[in-house]
Amino acid sequence: MGAPAKMAILDSVSSFAQRCRLGLAILPAALWLVSPTPAFAHASDRGHVLLLPTGYYLAGGAFAVAVSFLVLALLPADRLESFWRRRLPLFALGDSARAAVSLISFAGFAILIAAGVLGSRDPLSNPLPLVIWTLLWAGGTLLQGVFGDLWSWLNPWYGPWRLASRLFGTGDDAALRLPRWLGLWAAVILFFAFAWFELVDPAPDDPARLAADAGLYWLLTFLAMLVFGYRDWSRSGEFLTVFFSMVARFAVVERDETGRLGLCWPGAKLLAAEPLPISGIAFLLLALSSVSFDGLSKTFFWLGLFGINPLEFPGRTAMIGSGTFGLVLTFVLLAAVFMLAVLLGRRLAGNEHTPGKAAGLLVWSIVPIALAYHVAHYLTALLVDGQYALAALSDPFALGWNLFGTADMQIEAGIVAGADSAWWLWNLQAGAVILGHVLAVLVAHGFAGRLHPMPARAALSQFPLTVLMIAYTVFGLWLLATPTAG
Amino acid sequence: MADKNGFFDLSKTALTRRTALKGLAAGAGLAVAPGFVRYAQAQSSAPIKIGFQSHRTGIGAAYGRWYEKTTAAAIKAINAAGGINGRQVEVIIEDDGTDPGRGAEVVGKFATQHKTDIVFGTLFSHVVIGSAPAAGEAKIPYFVVSEGHHVASTKLNRYVFQPGITDVKSQIQAMAPWIAGNVGKKVTMIFPDFAFGYDHRDYLPPALKAQGADVIAQIAIPPTESSFTKYFPQIPAETEVLYHVMVGPAVLTFVKELGEFYGSNRPQLFGFMDSLEATDINSPGLEFLDGSHFWEGSPRYAQPDDSAAQKAYRAAVGIDDNGAAVGDPKDISTASHMFGCWETLYVVKKAMEDAGYKGPEDRAKLVEATEALTEFAEGPEHPQGPKTFNGKIHQCFGIQNISKVEGGKLKVVHKTKIEDGLYEAEGDYTTQAL
Repeated sequence: MGAPAKMAILDSVSSFAQRCRLGLAILPAALWLVSPTPAFAHASDRGHVLLLPTGYYLAGGAFAVAVSFLVLALLPADRLESFWRRRLPLFALGDSARAAVSLISFAGFAILIAAGVLGSRDPLSNPLPLVIWTLLWAGGTLLQGVFGDLWSWLNPWYGPWRLASRLFGTGDDAALRLPRWLGLWAAVILFFAFAWFELVDPAPDDPARLAADAGLYWLLTFLAMLVFGYRDWSRSGEFLTVFFSMVARFAVVERDETGRLGLCWPGAKLLAAEPLPISGIAFLLLALSSVSFDGLSKTFFWLGLFGINPLEFPGRTAMIGSGTFGLVLTFVLLAAVFMLAVLLGRRLAGNEHTPGKAAGLLVWSIVPIALAYHVAHYLTALLVDGQYALAALSDPFALGWNLFGTADMQIEAGIVAGADSAWWLWNLQAGAVILGHVLAVLVAHGFAGRLHPMPARAALSQFPLTVLMIAYTVFGLWLLATPTAG
Repeated sequence: MADKNGFFDLSKTALTRRTALKGLAAGAGLAVAPGFVRYAQAQSSAPIKIGFQSHRTGIGAAYGRWYEKTTAAAIKAINAAGGINGRQVEVIIEDDGTDPGRGAEVVGKFATQHKTDIVFGTLFSHVVIGSAPAAGEAKIPYFVVSEGHHVASTKLNRYVFQPGITDVKSQIQAMAPWIAGNVGKKVTMIFPDFAFGYDHRDYLPPALKAQGADVIAQIAIPPTESSFTKYFPQIPAETEVLYHVMVGPAVLTFVKELGEFYGSNRPQLFGFMDSLEATDINSPGLEFLDGSHFWEGSPRYAQPDDSAAQKAYRAAVGIDDNGAAVGDPKDISTASHMFGCWETLYVVKKAMEDAGYKGPEDRAKLVEATEALTEFAEGPEHPQGPKTFNGKIHQCFGIQNISKVEGGKLKVVHKTKIEDGLYEAEGDYTTQAL
């Protein structure tokens, strides 16, 4: 190799290294390495999506959301109201088994934590990361959104708390009361920490790391419940319960005060919701912005902003700063445009209510969007890692057990591979995102009717929020269609 | 190891794929692991522990999955045949997230926490480069399956080896005689504008020149590009061969647009399978590749003249005649690279046996024994083909395959000679202190 060629390589390596801003430890290594080295950016299934006419879907999605707004504006409010109020009663379900179910869930959780410490180091063989990230976070949210508040039974705190409060003879009385001003802020902060751990931390799948973090969180939450009471802490501090109960408001299964189960239309339960305080508004917007940022952070667009070559993605360690910044930025931007839309709408309708009440009610319309995007975003992970989870659960400690007969099942990664799967997955994802936004418009319409009994005013007040929802539909679809790293 | 009813069956001593790989964890004792019971008494008969630095998550996960399958199959075969030095082999997987920072951490964990005998299995070059200093510091042999030239460049350290897969410099150089002799002498290159593309940009022209052919244009495409039509007019009209090595999600778009640009009247196409690893070549958009040629490390599709060793290897790993997972035809393997895991593990076995390896105190002896290796014969341990090994640069050299896309399959039309890929050593690791 001649000297000029060598110089050119050196130049290219150093400029590349600068662009990539590799971690300090790697930078010198990359610089002194005279010869550049290959990377294996996989053609990946996003490649098949790039060949689909996704632009039409973006336009069609925007159109569908806009049309549903117009149709609703023309529909008499009482017709809609009576439709939403329809219920199909099922049967009564008492609370008697709730503590027992939660205790079993706690035992399972304890075994999983033990597996995280003692089991395989491989995050695709150890059941702890698979259960927490795939079954609970990706799958549990979906189940809550469809079947209602299963988490109030399945959470690993209720049973132990009942047991402890009986033992200590404290009953339901809490030692301390949470200050009113705290609202849901504790849950907001904890949810942010959770989202940061999932999206920014270098190794959220590492079994030992996750076991330590999840175990510590369980313990602190349990202590908080003993001090502040189960009911208060799970409503305002335990972020999973706060999130899951918000999502469950969308579900088609309803359980009334008497314990009777019934079926209702999706989102119908949302209409009875009370306005959320400012901390609750922040919580819901954070839930949506964080899952949106997860999609955004892998796009060529976002990586390009930071000079990162997506085909040689430097790994999460090198992205901690930009990831933290992005997580905060998406929240701030979403919160700003949401508040702007609500305030504009309120102004258009003649300032009939306080901004807090309008925003606190209308923010419930974010629930179907967050749920739809959650489903779309985690769909492939659910399909593949869900299989790994089933296999891992049969042998939690990597000792060769086969508890459920699934330990040796073949993991069919091909289920999400290839052009046909890409087409199906894209249509499911796009369908979910568009449907979520249409339902959001519907929910917002219901609330606007509650805030402004005059139909013309109600329609006017919704206009800015509808524009935001159309924009978010396009954004959500674009996130699923644009080139991404990995 | 459980019997049909799901109960523990300690009578079986051979490891299943799963137990071999899921491996030992932080505290789980060897003594309770089935298959190891009889070794639990003496340290000298305890299993050999291999730390597998695996791309389980991150952008390398598609490769990582197949590296794991191939590794599991090799370990199963090695253990079934008596293990290494009469000891069973245990693999401990740690996920590096395809992240150089974590890679270094993982190497440290293997050395100090898991106390594995070696570290093995890394693919992505930036992870190898990020992890190599940690391996050198801990003085733990680090066997990578990366294909990068970084090991052979002798810019890493004495503990890093690449004995199971050839490096990219050798691969590119070995293509030149066949390209110049069979497809054309005027070559235009299209490559992504970063390190991966630069290897091709820099190694191909001198190799072609030596064969009387020329690179007449080099077109670098920005890595974030997702539409390519505007670059095609830069391809000179007299181009006889278009040498393309695009990677990433936009590869399918690239091929489709190239097809739209040329129609039926196109120059010869030559590419590297890196562009389409784990991707079905019959995917929509790739029709234009019919009749074109690719480098393949090990053939994806079963060939009529496959050796018995190649057939046995494919069966053991679980890939069908189309190079997909048996029972899951859409799960396309990374055949061009993953064979390197199998072959590397057999090199480790040979070197440990030569060194009379007993435990971590013999790591230096293992390094020297590996450096003393010179060739690996084609056979069950080296199903991809024969190889030579240069102990001074810690790199093996082997044959490459050139395959033609024909009837929706890749048919091997030429196998290069080992000599086609040899080059002057750039340094000597053996002069470094252990």
